[in-house]
Amino acid sequence: MTGTLSATLVPLAHIGHWLWVFYVLPVIIVIAGIFWSTRAANRREREEEEEEKGRR
Amino acid sequence: MSVDLALPFGHALVARQDLPIPAWLFAWAASIVLIVSFFALSAAWRRPIFEEQHWRPLGGAGFSRAVTGAPLQALSGAIGVLLLGFAIWAGLHGTEAPDRNFALTFLFVTCWLGFPFLAAIFGDVFRPFNPWRAVGRAAGAALGAAGVRRPRKLAYPGRLGRWPAAIGLLAVVWLEVVYGASGGIAVGLDPHSCAVAACVYSAYTLAMMALFGVEEWCATGEIFSVYFGMFSQLGFLGVRDGRFGRRRPLAAAGSWAAIPGSAAVVIASIASTSFDGAQEGAFKGAIERVFGWLGDVGFGPTASLRLADTIFMALCFAGVALVYELGVRGMRTIPGAPSLARLRTAFAHTLIPIALAYLIAHYFSLFVFQEQAQFTYLLSDPLGTGRTDLFGTAEVGIDFSVLSSQTIWYVQVAALVCGHVLGLTLAHDRALSIWPEPRRATRSQYWMLAVMVAFTCFGLYLLSAGKG
Repeated sequence: MTGTLSATLVPLAHIGHWLWVFYVLPVIIVIAGIFWSTRAANRREREEEEEEKGRR
Repeated sequence: MSVDLALPFGHALVARQDLPIPAWLFAWAASIVLIVSFFALSAAWRRPIFEEQHWRPLGGAGFSRAVTGAPLQALSGAIGVLLLGFAIWAGLHGTEAPDRNFALTFLFVTCWLGFPFLAAIFGDVFRPFNPWRAVGRAAGAALGAAGVRRPRKLAYPGRLGRWPAAIGLLAVVWLEVVYGASGGIAVGLDPHSCAVAACVYSAYTLAMMALFGVEEWCATGEIFSVYFGMFSQLGFLGVRDGRFGRRRPLAAAGSWAAIPGSAAVVIASIASTSFDGAQEGAFKGAIERVFGWLGDVGFGPTASLRLADTIFMALCFAGVALVYELGVRGMRTIPGAPSLARLRTAFAHTLIPIALAYLIAHYFSLFVFQEQAQFTYLLSDPLGTGRTDLFGTAEVGIDFSVLSSQTIWYVQVAALVCGHVLGLTLAHDRALSIWPEPRRATRSQYWMLAVMVAFTCFGLYLLSAGKG
């Protein structure tokens, strides 16, 4: 019991060292969103250009 | 009364175990506010409005003359010189206890923090009180009256721009938070060193003013004029062509960064505040490791601590500059973007509200607490000797209960969120003037959104990791 408890508590005691991850996550999410929307916008622009070429 | 406020500074970083939700959730909430604001701006803000200041004179010509005229300028300048002289005298002859001597609180709290707060609302309040400008102008007028032929001024190198002020700003903060480290312990700057530094800076500034001209040096190299002047660009009052007037708030900031080195000034401001916040919090462990390593290499305790702090301060500057540079490079990928150099200059002013937000978030409670000291016991007993009581307030202490830790935290979060939303607004407005097509302008600002979210989360992390 004691062994199990200490095995659980030791990693939890160190979670404080990793709290910065929670502050970095929003930045990563926003950057991922930028990449995703930039790719989508580029694809849309390409398709529009091709459509225009096709019409000509 | 405050006994362990070893200025500078056990600033506004307090334990917040009593928050209803974990501190990091505030970073998520702030990020959501920024993202929502970004999309709201994209949808509703379709043309630039901050490119024009809409400056209008305030009051009649007589009022303007009274405000900007020589008598009031001379009076306010004399007050500035008197207060600087008094602070130097207190620093040289008063107690060495930092929190009992008038000099440190006056220079590093009342002036260093007070002028940015005032300037952000009312415009450049420091300018008329600038003691070095007053002395320089008085000396010029006296020489003119005496008929002495003044030597020709040197032309200030345009490429140097505001770089001397940016470096000076870092030097002031270095003196404040790094130099005070002594014997391996950060004890804060002592009043005597502060007074000596003020004398050295006065001599340097007056020499530069003699070389390049008073107004030229104030616009580019005089640290305090440039630093406080930067925040004044957000304010709604200003002087144009010698006339006092009002303008659209934030609008003056757009043209501020045109001088080279301006971006470095605002980056130095954010970086130095960040470092001061992180020194005893987020960076503490890392600084201690570098301190130990430097000690092993052979440096003494004081040199090791100062060197370790200096390295981390430089890293802070590099980090903030890098985040801004990434935002600028991201914008450069949008079709129709101008050169990198132009983008760097064009968007530097968007960091001013962030610099102010960092300042409020990190020092707001220190300011509230120390101003109580300033106007009570430091005013009655400026030397801190315990032998004078000029106004009968020498025994009055600081009431720390005026602000709860929760109030401080909410003010900090609100300051950071508002500052970054204002930064985002300025950036969006500028983007619309560069990319007239709103869709491209919005796409360019994805990158500034990332910059703003990064600075917000970093600021909140520093505050949450602050010492208790």
